[in-house]
Amino acid sequence: MVMFSRYTWWVGGMIALAFVFAVMSQVGLMSPFQGLFLQAAAPFENVLTTVFEPVASSLANIGNLNDLQNENAKLRVENEDLRNKITSLQQDAEQVNDLRQALKIAQSGGAETHVAASVVGRDSSPFTETVSIDKGANAGLKTGMVVLSAQGSLVGTVITVNPNTAFVRLITDTKSKVNAQILESKALGIVQGNPGRTLTFDLSQADAKVGDTVVTSGLGGNYPPNYTIGRVSEVSGTPQDLFRKVKVEPLVRVSTVSTVLVLTSFTPQRIGATGP
Amino acid sequence: MKGVGVTALLVIVALAQVTVAPLFTIRGAVPELGLLLLLLLALFAGPGSVMAGLPALALFQGFASDRAPGLLVIAYLPLLPFAAALEDWRVPLWEYPRAAIALVVAGFWLRGVLAFGAIAQGADPSFGALVLDVLIPGAFLDLALLTVAYVPLRFIGWGGQRLSLQGSHY
Repeated sequence: MVMFSRYTWWVGGMIALAFVFAVMSQVGLMSPFQGLFLQAAAPFENVLTTVFEPVASSLANIGNLNDLQNENAKLRVENEDLRNKITSLQQDAEQVNDLRQALKIAQSGGAETHVAASVVGRDSSPFTETVSIDKGANAGLKTGMVVLSAQGSLVGTVITVNPNTAFVRLITDTKSKVNAQILESKALGIVQGNPGRTLTFDLSQADAKVGDTVVTSGLGGNYPPNYTIGRVSEVSGTPQDLFRKVKVEPLVRVSTVSTVLVLTSFTPQRIGATGP
Repeated sequence: MKGVGVTALLVIVALAQVTVAPLFTIRGAVPELGLLLLLLLALFAGPGSVMAGLPALALFQGFASDRAPGLLVIAYLPLLPFAAALEDWRVPLWEYPRAAIALVVAGFWLRGVLAFGAIAQGADPSFGALVLDVLIPGAFLDLALLTVAYVPLRFIGWGGQRLSLQGSHY
């Protein structure tokens, strides 16, 4: 009984402390301390990531040797196909340039600007997929900015900015919703994350095939259009169904990405303050 | 000196949770290193270390992962009272199975609280996925890690501490 009553006092105290922490977080009193902690912790986070990432990668590869061989063969074919497409696109681009010059049309659209950042931490707790990066407000980052992989696929959005660090919500986070479209059929929908770190595409009464490319649609103004999200990996239901279940496999393994590009030239609708 | 050591451990585990733990996932579950550390501290250093260390761990982990420290305090909270209650009720089990039961139950609570926190912030409620993708794989991860950590510590002769407060020196 003595034990029970003493633990009861402790539990009561902890609940009160949790409430105090919640209030401090809400009014922003925690942010300066978080900034200092992250700045001091960054070198240790880098060391831990550098040491353990190869170990985890080796363990995963041992279990997936067959899958990797199959994937390698598939990628070789895809690589050849893509090289052919690049050649064809280069020829098209030259032709477009020639026609532009002939018609004296000015090049439209400004150049994209990015800030490159390294991933220093990951939070994959239930229903949540965020990463921390080593660039923050001092590098011009703002909440709401769009984050891409080094190859240009969509990775997520900036949700919290500290002076030298920032947190990015990945597209596989269950709170992430991206207006998207299927490149081939132009069907519109919303891509959202699932608890199993997969993506689903909520698509109403439209056709989708396995292998179709899913890109951002630009609707809503929070993401620029035509950034690749992934490929359709599974479609269930019939085209007559009101809502079909479409699974999307991200082109980049967002949970293990180590370098990202923050798109600073695009201003999303929900852009926020730079933070503390 | 003990306090400094425990604080250093808490910081290392909070950082490992955002760097090392996400590399070893099963479906939607990641190892909860903080929960495991609190249990091992309770078993090998006594309940006082956990009572003082829990809010510090919640703060460090909140800072490292941009999570609400208050929510983490609530998420970690039942582990110690539940483990102590298992001991106090004189459940006829050895220390390891008692610790395993406490860890699994506390793991369910922790992951459930974090999931409900995410749902409250706008994530789609998906209870089937919570059980199949998060809670069950998470319990396997927790048990595997407990075995890996507990057995060597007992093997080198570290003694188990009583979790009842009147039985300890706190």
